[in-house]
Amino acid sequence: MTGPQDPDGRTLVGSLGELPQAIEPPRDLWPGIEARLGGMEAPAPAATAAQSSGRRHSARLRWLAAAAMIASVALGVWIGRSLVPLPLAVPGARSPASVANEASAVTGAPTALDTAYVADPRYERQRAELLRSLQTRLASLPPASRAKVMASLETIHQAKEDLERALGKDPGNALLQELLINTYQDEMRVLTDVREASDSGKGI
Amino acid sequence: MTEAQAGDTRVDWEGALVQRARAGDTRAFERLYREHAGKVYGLCLRMTRDAQLAEDCTQDTFINAWRALAGFETRSSLSTWLHRIAVNVSLAKRRKSSPIEPPPEETEDAPGKWTLETPVEVREIETAIGGLPDGARDALVLHALYGYSHGEAAQMLGIAEGTCKAQLHRARKLLRERLGMEVN
Repeated sequence: MTGPQDPDGRTLVGSLGELPQAIEPPRDLWPGIEARLGGMEAPAPAATAAQSSGRRHSARLRWLAAAAMIASVALGVWIGRSLVPLPLAVPGARSPASVANEASAVTGAPTALDTAYVADPRYERQRAELLRSLQTRLASLPPASRAKVMASLETIHQAKEDLERALGKDPGNALLQELLINTYQDEMRVLTDVREASDSGKGI
Repeated sequence: MTEAQAGDTRVDWEGALVQRARAGDTRAFERLYREHAGKVYGLCLRMTRDAQLAEDCTQDTFINAWRALAGFETRSSLSTWLHRIAVNVSLAKRRKSSPIEPPPEETEDAPGKWTLETPVEVREIETAIGGLPDGARDALVLHALYGYSHGEAAQMLGIAEGTCKAQLHRARKLLRERLGMEVN
């Protein structure tokens, strides 16, 4: 970018724009930076590919997932039961395991989901069974309980659809993956609550 | 391959490194550092006029960039984003060591390409730039050397666009005096 040289070999410029923008540091500064990074967390373990519109969308998704969780947790507390979260995989939809695998392919590294979640075919069977009997079990519940369960499931399903759609565009986003897993677990929690309430004959 | 295509490839390559760095890959971040360190150090050095301080500012710029990488929009220019951080870091460090100078009267700078009447040796012009008051030098470096518009330079420096233009007017006047030639 710099211009000709004078008789002494010095570089001449005809305008300020010809001055080199880059000046190499007198020593390698990377080792000092790397040492400081060593004591820090990764920049965004929960928002791998946050982009402007994605962030706005993620905020909405967080709200939806939070609403779903609140709805189902409130339901669980209300009926006074403690349930063990189960590993999940939804027939006809992206399972958490496939989401985790895609994320690994994108990032080239194991994700938190790889260790936090293990796909279990028993889940599919259990979920299918719970869904098959859901209408019958709901019919045995008082109308107010039935309405609350339906509202919770609707919120959860809406959150799931939004999260799956967002993950389709941004499969490496760890935050979205985590929210989706939570939402699968919330759904199972609600379905199990309904079954147990129905079996006990006490209603919700 | 056209220049535009080469630019797109470079941006794609850089975007991939940003994604990897966001996932915690420090090797990817090191490659981004290697690519941009020279321009960031050059900016810090011209703003601080102190090699040691410029090294500190460069390191802090990349540390801050690592922390804020999640907020970087991959469609934006990484170079511009890093320069914004570098300007903030340099201004903050400089405020600690020197008093804030009063802004000049708002006399607008005439548009020009900062062309020198006759070619000048690089070291001579760098020395002349280095001798400018802080505010005038900041505006000059960002606008004339790094190619940012008046508005962009003003935003980066946290000053009004009119103040930025006034600083450039002052810088041009002082450079003319110190170099003994027209700077148009």
